[in-house]
Amino acid sequence: MRGFEIVRPTTIERAIELLESGDPGVRPFSGGTAIMQMMKTGMFVPERLVSLAGLSKEHSAISVDGEGGMKIGAMATLSTLERNDLVQTCFPVLARTMKRLANVRVRNVATVGGALSHGDPHMDLPPVLAALDAIAILRGPSGSREVPVADLYTGYYETVLEPGELVAEVVIPPSDGASAIYRKTTSRTADDWPMVGVAASLRLSGSRISSARVIVSAATAKLQRITAAEDVLTGQGPSREVFADAARVASAHSDVIDDAHGSSVYKSALVEIEVRRGLRDAFEGETAE
Amino acid sequence: MNVRADTANRQVGRSVPRLEGPEKVSGRASYVHNMSVPGMLYAKVVRSTVAHGRILSIDASGAFEISGVEHVFTGSDVQKIVPDPYFGPAFHDQPVLAIDKVHFVGEPVAVVLARDPYVAAEAAQQIWVDYEELPAVFDEVEAMKPDVVVHDELKPAGTFPDLKHLIGRRNTNIALDYHLKRGDPERAFAQAAHVFEHEFRSQQVMHVPLEPMVALAVVSHDTMTIHTASQSPSFVRTEIARLLGWSENRVKVKVPFLGGGFGAKLYIKLEALVACAALLARAPVKLMLTMEEQFYTITKHASTFRIRSGVNSEGRLIARHCEVLWNGGAFADIGPRVTQKSGFTAPGPYDIDNVSIDSYALYTNRPPAGALRGFGIPQLVWAYESHTDMIAHELGVDPLAFRRKNILKGDRPQATGTSMKDAAVEGVLERIAERMDWSGKAHREPSGPGKRIGRGLAIGFKASIAPTTSVAIVTVSADGSTILQLSTVDMGQGSNTAMAQIVADIVGVATEDVKVVTPDTDVTPYDMATLGSRSTFHMGHAVRLAAEDVRAKLADMAKSVGESLATTERIGDLFKKKYGMQAGNAVGVGTYIPEYKSPDPETGQSDKITPFWMIGGTGVELEVDTETGKYRILRMINAADLGTPLNPKIVESQLSGAAMMQLGFTMFEEMRFDGGQVTNASLADYKIPGIQDVPQTMENEIVEAHQHNGPFGAKGVGESATFGVSPAIANALFDAAGVRITSLPITPEAVFHAIRAQEEGAG
Repeated sequence: MRGFEIVRPTTIERAIELLESGDPGVRPFSGGTAIMQMMKTGMFVPERLVSLAGLSKEHSAISVDGEGGMKIGAMATLSTLERNDLVQTCFPVLARTMKRLANVRVRNVATVGGALSHGDPHMDLPPVLAALDAIAILRGPSGSREVPVADLYTGYYETVLEPGELVAEVVIPPSDGASAIYRKTTSRTADDWPMVGVAASLRLSGSRISSARVIVSAATAKLQRITAAEDVLTGQGPSREVFADAARVASAHSDVIDDAHGSSVYKSALVEIEVRRGLRDAFEGETAE
Repeated sequence: MNVRADTANRQVGRSVPRLEGPEKVSGRASYVHNMSVPGMLYAKVVRSTVAHGRILSIDASGAFEISGVEHVFTGSDVQKIVPDPYFGPAFHDQPVLAIDKVHFVGEPVAVVLARDPYVAAEAAQQIWVDYEELPAVFDEVEAMKPDVVVHDELKPAGTFPDLKHLIGRRNTNIALDYHLKRGDPERAFAQAAHVFEHEFRSQQVMHVPLEPMVALAVVSHDTMTIHTASQSPSFVRTEIARLLGWSENRVKVKVPFLGGGFGAKLYIKLEALVACAALLARAPVKLMLTMEEQFYTITKHASTFRIRSGVNSEGRLIARHCEVLWNGGAFADIGPRVTQKSGFTAPGPYDIDNVSIDSYALYTNRPPAGALRGFGIPQLVWAYESHTDMIAHELGVDPLAFRRKNILKGDRPQATGTSMKDAAVEGVLERIAERMDWSGKAHREPSGPGKRIGRGLAIGFKASIAPTTSVAIVTVSADGSTILQLSTVDMGQGSNTAMAQIVADIVGVATEDVKVVTPDTDVTPYDMATLGSRSTFHMGHAVRLAAEDVRAKLADMAKSVGESLATTERIGDLFKKKYGMQAGNAVGVGTYIPEYKSPDPETGQSDKITPFWMIGGTGVELEVDTETGKYRILRMINAADLGTPLNPKIVESQLSGAAMMQLGFTMFEEMRFDGGQVTNASLADYKIPGIQDVPQTMENEIVEAHQHNGPFGAKGVGESATFGVSPAIANALFDAAGVRITSLPITPEAVFHAIRAQEEGAG
């Protein structure tokens, strides 16, 4: 590993300026848990690293508005998400997900913004935020824009982020009575990256499902929102059969890939099982596994 | 746990807390990784990118363009100071740096030295090696045929008489073929009412010591000091001296604490390379491997085991044939010992009159395999205990009842002809059965639909590596304080504490007051190595003898000044009386080598194949999700016969640690390859068990026993709890879901496919 430069801007504007060139040797980092892996394996050889640590103060707040919508500063750490009272009250699925996300050392430094912009499909936070209809507020050289988390990814380790663009904040709309779950399956250790990640959300209006979200990740090259499965659910009464139908559709519409975690045959079967169980969990309001 | 109660004056049998604990938890303990000396150069190894090939050229010019690079050395540089630079404990097949040929992806080809480790690492990537690629062989079954030959000629080290017949052999990958024959297996098979044959495979895995291998060589005028994280300082000194043509006293090997060893840090690993590089560069040289590089240094043998058994109409095993192929990788390392010393236990702890074993150590183009906690035994038990359950199931007999009928009882001889004296085979089996309430009715209910509960057990055994020597020195200073010098390496197993307990017990002091000198070959005497659970027995005896020797000398001293040792309150008073002031030493020496008889070369028979047997077994209750194939271990019972425990607390952590390690090897650990390249050589992609992977309930049982010839009735324990884990899980899965997995690791996906195949077969 050659020597490289670390710069620590103290404003997001300065950080954006430093990253604007799009030079592949220049990258931002916050917790550094992912970039260190890439540097150790030689996948990434930095010329200059832009540390976002100086932005923590201004960009890690978590707040809730009158309707129950939440704003999370991108520099909030995953352990903040795990322990924050507002998160536990308004979106308990987020806090629960953290318990089995990597380990406490990673969660103490890894940030929400980093977890969203890394682009590795084997991550736990993006599918959960996508199921909650969260929106990422991006800040870049040409200003600010909003992108739903479900639309952040264009491929394996590929995102819509332009050079110089940073995730500044995440906005989650009020849950409005919806119940959300995340189910993680690992193929090796319990604290491994997921082989299959399924997030789902159900909102009931009377005896009917008024809205549903079904998100599949890790088994696929990028996070996938499966609207076909959501369509199966919407307007129906919640039942074992409907959940099973939606799960079959979800599996059929997931672009599952082979990787070191498992074969696509196995992962397709797991997507179906996990979506079915996840919908049941969401309906019953059970604690996600 | 049922162990002797603490008594005021007994040190042995007491759960003395680790002596080194405060030093380690306060961060004061030193490791080789922390060491640095003035003028030190950092080494980085350039490794082969092909699995098998001839080296056409090495272009190091790019490295020298990087500022801070001092030297680049290749095999031909090494040959300037060591004309025949090949090493290895069984075969001299491993060059310090590749000469002419490479044999696996990751083989050291060149080394870069720089003042900064990162500069060395970057420069190593600028060295271009051209290869003429040769066909490669990776699988042990394919390696039996000489279509692709890894080494042109076999070069046994000559230290082992049973390898002599292999000198100069060509056109083969078989580094050792070991055979055993007892009774008349052919006839017995012909007479058997039932014959069962199965094949089992185990995968290549790595030790993953969290302290990667590291060594630092410092050259003086005509001596050399090597600081190394090694399990075998005495061997390193002997082998470095041999390579350099020096006398042993010119080479000093110092070993501080280790951050884990598990067999990875045995014999020579990095030491020859740093020694040669330091001599060539005329500067101290330090080499620190990364986690990734460890995967290219030493591993555990993958294996294929074909086992055939004949059972008579009464359900007695009357014949067994074992064919075991060990995938040794590109260098033999200690593989031939695994093939023989573990090979002879391949028929399992069963009383079978007619047995034959063919066990083969094979060269392939994979990273070398050597010793790993269990030394081949877990691979064997995996097969023979899965096979045992399969036979029982086919015969419609309860697996425990089948074992009870066939197990080696009392002093009955094992396949080699050596008696199973002091081996609590039955004791371990019965303890597991009792703890699991095997014959009871009360079994737990599954946690939900699609979940099934199953239970399984397995038992295995291991011989000690014989014959090997240990030497210890106990010194009593003039103030009566006691020092123990030994070359046993405390790599986390607690040997310093256990050995100090022996000294304390005999000399009559508190264990905490015994100073233990860690290995320094100038100061601490010879020990074969810290391996194969041999230290408690072998070094334990040497320490006992040394302590008894010093005690006898103190008694003589007391007599010479008109006192009696028994009534002397302060030992220091004896020295004052003897020498007129606080002066002098009493020095006791102990040397131990157990009795051993080489097996007959034709039949493998010997009535003294090992001084003691280690017995270990595991019982498992698990729940499998029949939809996903995922299973959870609800309860795991590890039971072992380790003689009388010297330190019950340390014994218990050895049992749980060994079982957890094997649990990882059973459930998910696996080195994966693409054209000989390891594709998951990092902790990101090669996962080892963490705290969340520990079974819900884990019980570690010491089966009361006494090893009549052991120090204080004790014997080794470091590996025993690895034996039964894999087959106990496979047997429990069969019990739960009716599927039989015969290849490790038992991943959820493997279980899933087996269940689906079964459903399709039934449907």
